[in-house]
Amino acid sequence: MSEATLSLEAVRARSARGVRARRAADRLATGLLWTAAISVVLLLAFFVGYIFYLGVGAISWQFLTAPPSEVSAGGGIGPEIYNSFYILILTLIFTAPIAISAGIYLQEYAKPGAFRSLVQFSAESLATVPSIVMGLFGLLVFVYYFGWHFSALGGALTLTILNLPALMRVSQEALASVPSTLREASMALGATKWTTITRAVLPSAVGPLTTGIVLIAGRIFGETAALIYTAGVSVAAGKGAYDLSPFRPAETLAVHVWYTHAESVVPDVARIGNGSALVLLAMVLLFNVGARIVGRFLTIRFTGKA
Amino acid sequence: MIHVVESLDPAVVKMDIRDLNVYYGSFHAIKNASLEVADRKVTALIGPSGCGKSTFIRALNRMHDLTPEARVTGTVSLDGTNIYDQSVDPVVVRHRVGMVFQRPNPFPKSIFENVVYGPKTHGERNRNELMACAERSLRRAALWDEVKDRLFKSALDLSGGQQQRLCIARVLAVEPEVILMDEPASALDPIATSKIEDLIGELKKDYTVVIVTHSMQQAARISDLTAFFLLGELIEVGTTSDIFTRPKDRRTEDYITGRYG
Repeated sequence: MSEATLSLEAVRARSARGVRARRAADRLATGLLWTAAISVVLLLAFFVGYIFYLGVGAISWQFLTAPPSEVSAGGGIGPEIYNSFYILILTLIFTAPIAISAGIYLQEYAKPGAFRSLVQFSAESLATVPSIVMGLFGLLVFVYYFGWHFSALGGALTLTILNLPALMRVSQEALASVPSTLREASMALGATKWTTITRAVLPSAVGPLTTGIVLIAGRIFGETAALIYTAGVSVAAGKGAYDLSPFRPAETLAVHVWYTHAESVVPDVARIGNGSALVLLAMVLLFNVGARIVGRFLTIRFTGKA
Repeated sequence: MIHVVESLDPAVVKMDIRDLNVYYGSFHAIKNASLEVADRKVTALIGPSGCGKSTFIRALNRMHDLTPEARVTGTVSLDGTNIYDQSVDPVVVRHRVGMVFQRPNPFPKSIFENVVYGPKTHGERNRNELMACAERSLRRAALWDEVKDRLFKSALDLSGGQQQRLCIARVLAVEPEVILMDEPASALDPIATSKIEDLIGELKKDYTVVIVTHSMQQAARISDLTAFFLLGELIEVGTTSDIFTRPKDRRTEDYITGRYG
């Protein structure tokens, strides 16, 4: 009854109060979400700044090129940088063809059903295996069973198994981002399925595909636990550290950061650890930025679209 | 009942569709449709939304093959050969029966690469030959003058109407015999639409055109024959002037006079 007898002014006043309350709620929510978002940026900035502050004093040409030292001060990380790239490239050579092929199969060929579910379930399960467990698996298989001892190849194969599911998913998603109307257009012009994939779908997916691969390359570059027991924590002395053979112990930069802090007895362990961490972080950030630039460049190159 | 236009001479039948049924899973989308498509004429398929006209046209170049849950029965003969015959390669069918879609769907490549996509796919590698083909096709699609100075720029920078004419040029480059158009102007403004309509008038001199349209005015303007669909059934087919002035079926008359749809 009282509702019906309210004057027009009273109704307007009430609705204005409602609007004010909702505006306040809106502002509050916006503020909270903005704070959450900005804290991610601040966290990264603090993290990068701190590592830079600690590590920059250690960086010198000598540090970046010299071999590591086991006992005395003044060791460098030259072979570790070399090994990180060596294992990265070897891993991508193994991973990319298998992962991209599997991604193409799942996205373009597999019909919904038992087999596709099995492949996806296997990939998801594989992706949840902790990297240290994968490292111990590599130790059993590559180091002991195949008798390769600690080797760059064993490390790369372990990382291949570790990153296969993620790269397969990235490939599948890159292909899924291509609109189905392009596939229809190609098929309607009398192209076969394979031609449609190679000439219409893959060129359109090359941008996201490259971005995905480079981001995963960053992860491979920084991987530690899976390499400790497979590629090892040492490098050969002298020129042997830069050998091209995959059958040699190959400590990477990330492993070196762990090793110097956990096991090493050199007096300048803090300097080496901080310097290595800075180089590692810089490389990984470079991969992330590079992923965007390369992805964008390839998209323009292959599709003429900015 | 078999829907034939009495005046249609068997010699001029380009495509002969008999007892066509299309199912999506358990949904019966096209029910026993039969239609003769006359050579070098424009056949319009009209009817309210969801009546199955797009489903019907996609059966004419085996596009339903791409949809796992779709199933097609009946025969679709192209110059007397059933395109659903086991021995027929769908790739060859789509080479002879091209298709233009509702929304312009150029490849994210240059204008040139879009036009020569088909010829390249079919093995043409000679640069001069491809260049000549691109010019010929773009001229036929009434787009050459607008794009000749930017052939190697992205097709995605063209306007919607230009993109749709590019898609038509891309189909012409394959040198098909039949061109299927699924509401080719529905996403375009009136000026771009009238350019497409003019173009269809030109194309029927050399090609058989089947066009789905939701616009009765468009059907009346551009088509020689019109088929009316309702709820998955082909209700009536005849010359466009007969359908619009002397429909035989009550339901056709109701639709033409705007009682539903």
